[in-house]
Amino acid sequence: MISLLKKTAAVAVLALSGTVAMAETKLTGAGATFPNPIYQKWVAEYQKSHPDVKIDYQSIGSGGGIKGITEKTIDFAGSDAPMSKKELAAAGGEIVHIPTVAGAVVAAYNLPDFKGELKLDGPTLAEIFHGKITKWNDPKIAALNEGTSLPAVGITPAWRTDGSGTTFVFTNYLATQSNEFKNAVGMGKQVKWPTGQGGKGNEGVTAIVQGTPGAIGYVELNYATQNQIAFATMKNKDGKFVKCSPDSVAAAGAGAVGKMDKSLAVDIWNQGGDESYPIAAFTYIIVYKDLGYLKDQGKAKALVDFLKWATTEGQSTAKEMDYAPLAAPVQKKVADALATLTWSGSPVAAAK
Amino acid sequence: MTTAHSNLALTGPSQPDGPAFALTGTRASGHGDAILAWVTRGSAIVVILMLVSLVSVLAYASVPAIRTFGVGFLTSHDWRPNELPGEPKRDATGNLIFEDGEVVLEMIPASFGALPVIYGTTVSSVLALLFAVPLSLGAALFLTRIARGWIVAPVSFLIEFLAAIPSIAYGIWGLFVLAPFLQRYVEPALNKFFAITPGLRWLAFPSTPTGRDMFAGGLILGVMVVPIITAVARDVLRAVPRNQVEGTVALGATWWQSSKEMLKYSRSGLFGAIMLGLARAAGETMAVTMVIGNNNQIAASPFAPAQTMSSLLANEFAEASTEIHRSALIEVALILLLMSLAFNVVARYLVVGKGSRSAAAH
Repeated sequence: MISLLKKTAAVAVLALSGTVAMAETKLTGAGATFPNPIYQKWVAEYQKSHPDVKIDYQSIGSGGGIKGITEKTIDFAGSDAPMSKKELAAAGGEIVHIPTVAGAVVAAYNLPDFKGELKLDGPTLAEIFHGKITKWNDPKIAALNEGTSLPAVGITPAWRTDGSGTTFVFTNYLATQSNEFKNAVGMGKQVKWPTGQGGKGNEGVTAIVQGTPGAIGYVELNYATQNQIAFATMKNKDGKFVKCSPDSVAAAGAGAVGKMDKSLAVDIWNQGGDESYPIAAFTYIIVYKDLGYLKDQGKAKALVDFLKWATTEGQSTAKEMDYAPLAAPVQKKVADALATLTWSGSPVAAAK
Repeated sequence: MTTAHSNLALTGPSQPDGPAFALTGTRASGHGDAILAWVTRGSAIVVILMLVSLVSVLAYASVPAIRTFGVGFLTSHDWRPNELPGEPKRDATGNLIFEDGEVVLEMIPASFGALPVIYGTTVSSVLALLFAVPLSLGAALFLTRIARGWIVAPVSFLIEFLAAIPSIAYGIWGLFVLAPFLQRYVEPALNKFFAITPGLRWLAFPSTPTGRDMFAGGLILGVMVVPIITAVARDVLRAVPRNQVEGTVALGATWWQSSKEMLKYSRSGLFGAIMLGLARAAGETMAVTMVIGNNNQIAASPFAPAQTMSSLLANEFAEASTEIHRSALIEVALILLLMSLAFNVVARYLVVGKGSRSAAAH
């Protein structure tokens, strides 16, 4: 019995030393749930070519990610909303936002007898979610959809009950469209909606829209496409009606590159241009500019290498997963930003 | 809840007043006894410590919310986790302050009031009792008075089995079966009836009912509390002395009259059973969250979406990102805990306390 135990122990020790011999670098990230599918895919792909780097991303929500990076309990955070001034102040050191992909929010609707493609503009959408427009055959909706017949069904707006980056993007967009909405409902990860029904997560809102004739809810693009729910074509800042797609979202991202001088955390909702879809936002990976908190120069190098890979080669997987890739000028800005990251004062990129 | 129920089920009128065997630990072989005594004592203490620490942690964590909102937390119906833009901020000389080319605004801080969810919990629980009490008392009377021996056991088992179905399973049934059914067949007709009936117009929902509202929440809670009320009511009715029932029959009472006497005789126990059902309804979370519509509002119509305390916690806790938001949610949890505790204490007093005293009097 005892000899058996000893043997087992010896095997265990051997196994342990085997792991150590590989000199594995382990990176831990946590945060936003929205980009989680593509982050997991990136990690799996990256590990194929870099078996010595192990990356673990936990989708605990943007708030949890920001908390983690502020307390330096994780190596990088994922967040849909850039850190607020208050959060930046709490973080202490200088923070860098790295856009990884862009996502879009669509207004998914359920109108069983409606033929054709629903068209909406920002002010109308704001009034619907504000409870000012309550019937589908309202003249304001009808004016945008000439030649179609809209039913006299009541509108049930559907929204997220949990704090989320999706709500953040959607309310910020509506606030640019209607001052009334901005002052009464406001913007944020979670707001007090004046009317309608709440669901938890994209799946909760999707369930309400699918189960309720007359419902309109905001969900991420991939939820609407995967569940095959119709969503509205939106009128953008330049008056063009644009269907949401990875390409039209990428176009919105490209349009914002001019604002990226000070920080990469820029709003891309309500962008003009012929092809820009207006309810879009980047999602970010957040790190400190000086990676000294990683305690290990090898880790700092591995993190920068991974981010470089994700924002260049990794972008090719974005479209098939319904995320918008970073446009070339944005990729250039990201590369510049990654080059400025330091390890205790000296550039990481140069370190071996 | 199941524990409370099985305790009650075990507590019949024949329960002795004290433990049948006292552990003394003085005999030669008493080491085992002494150890066992300490182990059991320790277990009891740990269980009580768990409750104490639960309450104290909740109380401690809700201090920021209690400090900020005070009693107003219970009376305000504004649940808004985001800040709102307010008046432009001005410096000492009254000039606007600019930052990055934009006017800096004073922000109206987030505000939290629990009245809508206290209302939601209360109304949905009362609706649940409206559905469940007649059903449960009927089933309990059937099991004690009409059902023949061979049918009692399987029917009791099936009713109690309802209590073992996980809440989330009820929720899924509620979302995919009950809500669409209500939305298609029940609510439009009822809503029309409310809308055209003078005196009931305030109950009508102005928009299209969706099947996920206070009514659906109350209904699903009703289904969930039926097994508890039935099981306890059956035991309470069984404890009615046989001579009491025979006496009424001897005096020429019909079946219904003697049943009425039976119900009257055990009314405090039955009330306790209902209170236990109420306690479960108030604390129930997942199933309600899926069908109640999750809107923190107070609306007269049963077809308006609502929110209960527990569904609010299920919806918001994981992603609450500010300290005051978390603290407000924890205060809601504390209020819910105290409410459930009160229901349970009252129920126990009525079912067990009075029951054993009246049994002792016989």
